[in-house]
Amino acid sequence: MGESKITKLRQVTSLALACGVMAGVVAMTGGVEASAAPSTLVIGNFNPFSGADASFGPEMVAGCQPAVRLINAGGGVMGHQFSCIEFDTRGDPADAVPAANKMVATNSSLEGILGPSADEALATVPILEQAQVPMFADTGQAFFDKSSYHYFWRITPADDVKGYALALWAHKKGYTRAAAIFGNDAGSQSDVPSLVKAWSKLGGKMVDNVKLALDQSSYRTEIEQMLSSKPQVIFTEIDPQTAGTFLSELQQLHGLIPIIGTEVTLQAPWLKAVTGAVGAKAMTQYFTGMQPYAPTAGTAWTTYNSALLASKAQIPQPSQWSSDPYSMTYYDAVTTMALAMLSAHSINRATYNNSIMAVTEPGKGKTLVYSFAQGKAALAKGKKIEFVGAGGLIAFNQWHNSSGAFEAAQQVAGNVKVIGEVTADQIATLSK
Amino acid sequence: MNIYVLSLGFGLITASILAIASVGFTLQFGVTNVLNLAYGDVMTGAAFVAYLVTKAGGGLAEALVAGAGSGAVASYGLNRLVYTPFVRRGTRLFGMIIVTISVSLVVQNGLQAIFKATFFSLSLPRPSSYTFAGMIFTSQQLVIIGLAVVAMVLVHALLSWTKLGRAMRATAADPELARSCGIATDRVIDVAWLLSGALCGTAGVTLALNVSSFTSTTGGQFLIPVIAAAVLGGVGHPYGAMIGAVVIGLSSELSASVISPDYKEVVAFIILIVVLLIRPQGIFSEVATQKEVAV
Repeated sequence: MGESKITKLRQVTSLALACGVMAGVVAMTGGVEASAAPSTLVIGNFNPFSGADASFGPEMVAGCQPAVRLINAGGGVMGHQFSCIEFDTRGDPADAVPAANKMVATNSSLEGILGPSADEALATVPILEQAQVPMFADTGQAFFDKSSYHYFWRITPADDVKGYALALWAHKKGYTRAAAIFGNDAGSQSDVPSLVKAWSKLGGKMVDNVKLALDQSSYRTEIEQMLSSKPQVIFTEIDPQTAGTFLSELQQLHGLIPIIGTEVTLQAPWLKAVTGAVGAKAMTQYFTGMQPYAPTAGTAWTTYNSALLASKAQIPQPSQWSSDPYSMTYYDAVTTMALAMLSAHSINRATYNNSIMAVTEPGKGKTLVYSFAQGKAALAKGKKIEFVGAGGLIAFNQWHNSSGAFEAAQQVAGNVKVIGEVTADQIATLSK
Repeated sequence: MNIYVLSLGFGLITASILAIASVGFTLQFGVTNVLNLAYGDVMTGAAFVAYLVTKAGGGLAEALVAGAGSGAVASYGLNRLVYTPFVRRGTRLFGMIIVTISVSLVVQNGLQAIFKATFFSLSLPRPSSYTFAGMIFTSQQLVIIGLAVVAMVLVHALLSWTKLGRAMRATAADPELARSCGIATDRVIDVAWLLSGALCGTAGVTLALNVSSFTSTTGGQFLIPVIAAAVLGGVGHPYGAMIGAVVIGLSSELSASVISPDYKEVVAFIILIVVLLIRPQGIFSEVATQKEVAV
């Protein structure tokens, strides 16, 4: 190799290194600056799109796309348009960590993140925190109930809250003997400790507590063992395929018993898998799911639903997400971030992150707004706003957590029908 | 009812599906020397064909025939169109494994693109349950066990008493020598792919029937126990695969009742490791020792 070639190689290497360092600096200091020319700001949909929890991703997209549609239709934020980009964590920390690093390093327009889920949150939240990316996580892990992460936000309820809701509903129905049948994945298992504790507090007996290995070809032995302890009701959160196998085998062997599931078991893929396996009649007769209270009515929900139904090109069968509380909260999260940017007059991540509570928390003289357009108009007039999302009021505590009541729902004739409620007060009392 | 007796019955069902799948897998490997890691995805493809048949009003028999047929055609096609060109270019075992992994990914993602990432169930009437010697079976599970028995008897009859079976065994033992003795090894290999594909398709339909709810990844997830059963019995040896399937099927269900369901997979694979430590070539040895596979 000649000397000139070596010199040229060194120059190219130096240039590449300099570009890499600059990209890193941009990522570490809050992404796109306010003074930059209008560009498309990225909302990362950082969740499993493949693997056992592949159903999480589409649910997230169903919240992100309608929000982005409305933001862009409303003129964007300071001239910037938004887009949703999927980043597949595969539901596994081993895949999620490199995916998080790559997402942060290669997307200088990354403005915020939906996710991570419980499958990868413990491994990736510190990475995203260090990169100063506001994240609206959908993990339910109790670890984040009182965490000090500045960029971590959670509108979805924590898993321990879910456990309380399940126990309260079973208690309300008069059951005293229950079996906990949960998947052996981190997300499902994080519901169990609070469920066991709450059920015991309410005077119930947990007669069996099974960690199911996912996606096996049979669970008959586990079923026989569970039934030998004579439960009156089953508490559950397992992935759709496992649930289909487990519940159809239970039905074949001895018939179903009442089942109370978390909100995962009210999601469209779960309902499709289990209804196909046990039949629609059995689903209506035996199954109840507990999901965060999210009324399918009101101005905010109507706006969300209209935008959702108009997003057919990006979301297959969008109507399946109309009553999905998680899709609603993802929609609310994107809208909240956009309004916080307007409130802060900045798309700098570190700056607008400090304004998130300013656009959600209640306050005297604040204008209630139910959509991005309303919020943008009010802020333009110099008013202070409180955004009420499709999922209802957003009230973050000092640890950036916001959760409320739960509703009990059943599947009737292919539709999810609300049959009762567990109030936020009941949950708060039980959790003391 | 005694939980151990019940578990024995449940193990028989798992073992039956495993036996059909692992005999097909090992038969094809024994004759062709291609470790086909796309096998599980062909199983899934057959499950989807069965799904379409039942959706169109077909019954279990039609679904099984269609699944077996589609498995045979898909396996034959894969060999002719993909694997054979690589073998002719001299691709060795490790290279072929990579090729079959690639095919697996293409088939799996192809199925997902066609059917979408959602869950499917065969549209069949709900089965009735029967109790026999303290064990509980549904009518569909009895069909699965019956199919496994018939398939094993037919494979045994084919290999023991027919000219084709002897030609397959000769090709498995030494293809060069078999060719010099006038055996049309290419045709034998074609038949081996068709036969193993039919078993693969049948296994795919029985698996879909057993799990009640399946996706484009269901067959791929089942490949590990299939390979384990084949390896336990001695790779390339159909009788070994039958024994391996019974050992893995029964041990996983019995360990779930004796120890804990958390460990049922672990126990099956500990047995596999222990057996291989004692007999590295598997329970049946002669074919496995001649193959390139380093177990």
